[in-house]
Amino acid sequence: MTDTHCPYCSLQCGMSLERAGRALEVRPWAEFPVNQGALCRKGWSAAGLRGHRERLTSPLVRDRATGELRSASWDEALDLVGARLRELRDESGPDTVAVFGGGGLTNEKAYQLGKLARVALGTSQVDYNGRWCMSSAASAGNQAFGVDRGLPFPLEDVEQTDVLVLVGSNLVETMPPAARHLDRLRERGGRVVVIDPRRTPTADRADLFLQPVPGTDLPLALGVLHLLDAAGAVDEEYAAARTVGLDEVRRSVAAWWPERVERVSGVPASELRELADLMAGAERVMVLTARGAEQHAQGTATVLAWVNVALALGMCGRPFAGYGCLTGQGNGQGGREHGQKSDQLPGYRMIDDPAARAHVAGVWGVDPDSLPGPGRSAYELLDALGTDGGARALLVFGSNIVVSAPNATHVAARLADLDLLVVADLVMSETAALADVVLPVTQWAEETGTMTNLEGRVILRQQAVSAPDGVRSDLEVIAELAARVGSPVPFATDPEQVFAELARASAGGRADYAGITYDRIRAEHGVFWPCPDADHPGTPRLFADSFAHADGRARFVAVDHRGPAEPTDEAFPIHLTTGRVLAQYQSGAQTRRVRDLPDTGPFVELHPMLAARIGARDGELVVVATRRGELKAPARVVTTIRPDTVFVPFHWVGANRLTNDALDPSSRMPEFKVCAALVTAVSRLVASAPRTSTPASLVEVRAQRASDPTEAGLIS
Amino acid sequence: MRVVIVGAGMAAARLADGLRGHDVTLLGDEAHAPYNRILLSAVLEGTHDVASLALRLGEHVDLRLDTRVVEIHREEREIELADRSRLPYDALVLATGSIPTLPPIRGLVRVDGRLDDRVHAFRTLDDCRRLDAAVPGARRAVVVGGGLLGLQVARALGVRGLEVEVVEGGEHLLRSQVDGNAGAILARSLTRLGTTVYTGARATRLTAVGLVLDNGYVLETDLVVLTAGGRPSTSLARRAGLEVRRGIVVDDTLTTSDPRIHAVGDCAQHGDRVTGFVPPAWEQAGVLARVLDGEPAVYDGSRSVARLRATGLDVAVLGDPLEAEGEVVEVSNPVVGSHRRLVVRDGVVVAATLVGDLSRIGLITQYFDRGTVLAPAEPGALLLPDRPPLPHVLAADAEVCACAGVNAGDIRRCSSLAEVRAATRATTGCGGCADTVRQLLAQRTTPTLEGSTA
Repeated sequence: MTDTHCPYCSLQCGMSLERAGRALEVRPWAEFPVNQGALCRKGWSAAGLRGHRERLTSPLVRDRATGELRSASWDEALDLVGARLRELRDESGPDTVAVFGGGGLTNEKAYQLGKLARVALGTSQVDYNGRWCMSSAASAGNQAFGVDRGLPFPLEDVEQTDVLVLVGSNLVETMPPAARHLDRLRERGGRVVVIDPRRTPTADRADLFLQPVPGTDLPLALGVLHLLDAAGAVDEEYAAARTVGLDEVRRSVAAWWPERVERVSGVPASELRELADLMAGAERVMVLTARGAEQHAQGTATVLAWVNVALALGMCGRPFAGYGCLTGQGNGQGGREHGQKSDQLPGYRMIDDPAARAHVAGVWGVDPDSLPGPGRSAYELLDALGTDGGARALLVFGSNIVVSAPNATHVAARLADLDLLVVADLVMSETAALADVVLPVTQWAEETGTMTNLEGRVILRQQAVSAPDGVRSDLEVIAELAARVGSPVPFATDPEQVFAELARASAGGRADYAGITYDRIRAEHGVFWPCPDADHPGTPRLFADSFAHADGRARFVAVDHRGPAEPTDEAFPIHLTTGRVLAQYQSGAQTRRVRDLPDTGPFVELHPMLAARIGARDGELVVVATRRGELKAPARVVTTIRPDTVFVPFHWVGANRLTNDALDPSSRMPEFKVCAALVTAVSRLVASAPRTSTPASLVEVRAQRASDPTEAGLIS
Repeated sequence: MRVVIVGAGMAAARLADGLRGHDVTLLGDEAHAPYNRILLSAVLEGTHDVASLALRLGEHVDLRLDTRVVEIHREEREIELADRSRLPYDALVLATGSIPTLPPIRGLVRVDGRLDDRVHAFRTLDDCRRLDAAVPGARRAVVVGGGLLGLQVARALGVRGLEVEVVEGGEHLLRSQVDGNAGAILARSLTRLGTTVYTGARATRLTAVGLVLDNGYVLETDLVVLTAGGRPSTSLARRAGLEVRRGIVVDDTLTTSDPRIHAVGDCAQHGDRVTGFVPPAWEQAGVLARVLDGEPAVYDGSRSVARLRATGLDVAVLGDPLEAEGEVVEVSNPVVGSHRRLVVRDGVVVAATLVGDLSRIGLITQYFDRGTVLAPAEPGALLLPDRPPLPHVLAADAEVCACAGVNAGDIRRCSSLAEVRAATRATTGCGGCADTVRQLLAQRTTPTLEGSTA
């Protein structure tokens, strides 16, 4: 039995792996506190890729003559990549090579990938798909608290709060075992509030459900704070002692009275009042945001608005209360701390800080001046590929860009303009299929390394089985590439050795791992950062005494609502939002290949009123079109979504051909969660029947009402 | 650019805050920094604290209080203040608001020219404070005017424990916004809340006994609150020779007949319309901020939503339901006090009245604001309640546990919770299906349900 963690989301459920002959079986690991043995079907079936016929077991190189990928030896593939990278760099400088990482990579891989970029390649062009995950919460956390750790407390603290407000989180489907904490909270008499344009299974477990128009979580927060302030519920003593900036925020929310919020958000003023009353009357309030609130061109401002609410109530730093972000990707937290983000060095150090550069360069054994400065954010990096000033070669680790990037058709075109695309993956993802060189790498059960879960708890993924022949670990691949492009220093390949180096590099940084070792993680069920030395117990709860800004105070930041970058209009009258389904994960490269997980393909969720308007029945094909692309998929007619909104899951090719690439000015997060769309039934397209729009008549209402005896009213 | 804004009310404050990057001077004739005027009735009612009304102004704004503008010198591009000093401008914005009209009631004004002690206006923070201070010593109040403000004040005073009567000269309440049916239902709701309503009655005289109505009633009262509206404040503009009709005439860019002078809010007339509400005034302020920033922006004046903010009274008026042309879908239920009316033209909700039932307001307002083209049956469906879900027996292929992908049939094949967990892994994820699983297991003993489908 090997104790390890699920390969998918940020909950990183503990599980035990047992070998049964050639097979690998998933068993509960009841002692691990985050999930206590519970798993969802993704976790139970996680071994499904083991021995899968689609596993890549040999490097592939695109044959110039045929244009097809063919098998190659590791030496041939790596030599080819090394030579091309050197050529391109000699021709047009180090920034001609870009590196793209992922939030599913272990801390060790993320660290080595950043080092590969900064030391071996000397390029500033490195970023990762975590930009598209929780970067808005990260940016807001840094502004408000001076530090970015998804949850500043263990997840189980949820059970002890009084009012839990989930903004844009569908955790019952996206991280099912976490829902057990909600149930225990409610058994204790606590209340759960869910804010989501869809009445999700999470909303079904809520005491209060608010259903706003996509892109309006921000004015909701402004309205809540308006009501709290009006009712005198602001904790003045706390604000005076522990924060700065309340006055301006207070004046800014004076403009957001409930009826104004109602008009913008589509949430009745009475429901906003209910929420504010609930929060004002509670001793402990916890606000958690997730992608629904964060994946917007105003994602950072949205999170800041909710942080303001938590601060105004005096909750941040109080036990079982405060603000937190439910990170999405498996190592979304750790992945952003150790240097694969374009503006950061290991330990959450900023790359433009001379002291940070000197420290990290010292650990790496290079001259601080040799390190590049900040590069482009994920989408901007991709958008520049193959253009003047953009990179001409791209190395991709742990990301399926053409499925997960916004405005994906455009991004695919940028990839096509590259001189060299190298993809390291375990299966032939849609992005790998476009590559010039594909490098087969280990997965999950075949490797060891640390992840940092949504709580900031550093945990250990442990190897349970050996990798298939022909497959190498990402660490080995990175080291080989570093050597081939003439790295001034060698790269370690043993994960524990890499982790020790990472810990040194992080020492003194905001995400300080210096006191964490593999042995401690095993012994303590994970260690929470910051943990500056071996004797330090780690930090499960932040902010009890002070915040991470130099003066120890949290910041209220005044924000205002601008609305979605692409409002609906006559041509595109419907809001489109995107998200996940329970049985799939991210771009689906792994989960779509697991036999025990249903692969339904994309679908379009829409309300019966909208379905009737466009003439689509459940199961019939509809076309969702935006200014960027189209998707044809079956309609799923549900009463749980707003009638002015459609939802498409993003695990399949298509959803992100529709999404908007407008970016948040601070986090550079694209606006995945709302854009303007036109939805048409395919049957109507075929028949091209002329659209009539006869206004409803009284007779019609009478007829409908006659068939519905539940309404006691009269028609005058 | 030097922007001078005359007035420091809601529209002025909104505009000033939106003009970051400019050099903005805000001239207010009240002694208070800009505050959210529309929440004054909430302060009176006690749901809002006065301090929470203060509006944000950026550092770029030079706010001058107690300042009155007496003249505009258009050629010199200067304004003249009451103290004869002058201020130059590149752009001048008139946001002078409205002047309350005093209803023709004898006895309101004493011989010394001041209002009778019992009489209150309700327009400014000072008015609100004065009335608020008078409430504890009063038992009865009469609100003159059955418009939005009048009803809000009436409810506020009612919540404060006063016996309140409303006098409306028109045939029904909210006569500028809604039709007689809605007004009648509203009056009934108000009566049920303990407030007496007199419609079609004019107050003619205030005597020592009370307020005398033209129908002969004499309403004994300690307080008389005047909420009967106002007219655009245009004298400054008129003296400067700008085009003025009912209000200061502006085009789609909120510009007056002088290209360097603009007007927003209650003092402005766009098309044939003068507004008395904050939402359109703020929309105008937003548009003008962009115009002054050199962006292409126009105000089309088509969409306004008026909302009554008063405990126990739910009213929303979208657009102009009295004037809008189109087909009408209406559901009225006087028994429960609801009246909802949609005016639909070419599939678009162009106006609506919602009284007593705002359950769909979040959607209807969105459709109205965005001009969404609806199918013929939709406006009617919007006014009908959601159908209650039918109780049913789960079909064998109905998914019970999403976490593990287990359907009802799989559960029915098991005999115990332990077997369910071992064989299907249902209940081992989020735990949400535990109740359903227990029910299904319990139902196994009821043979009639075994394997049956809904």
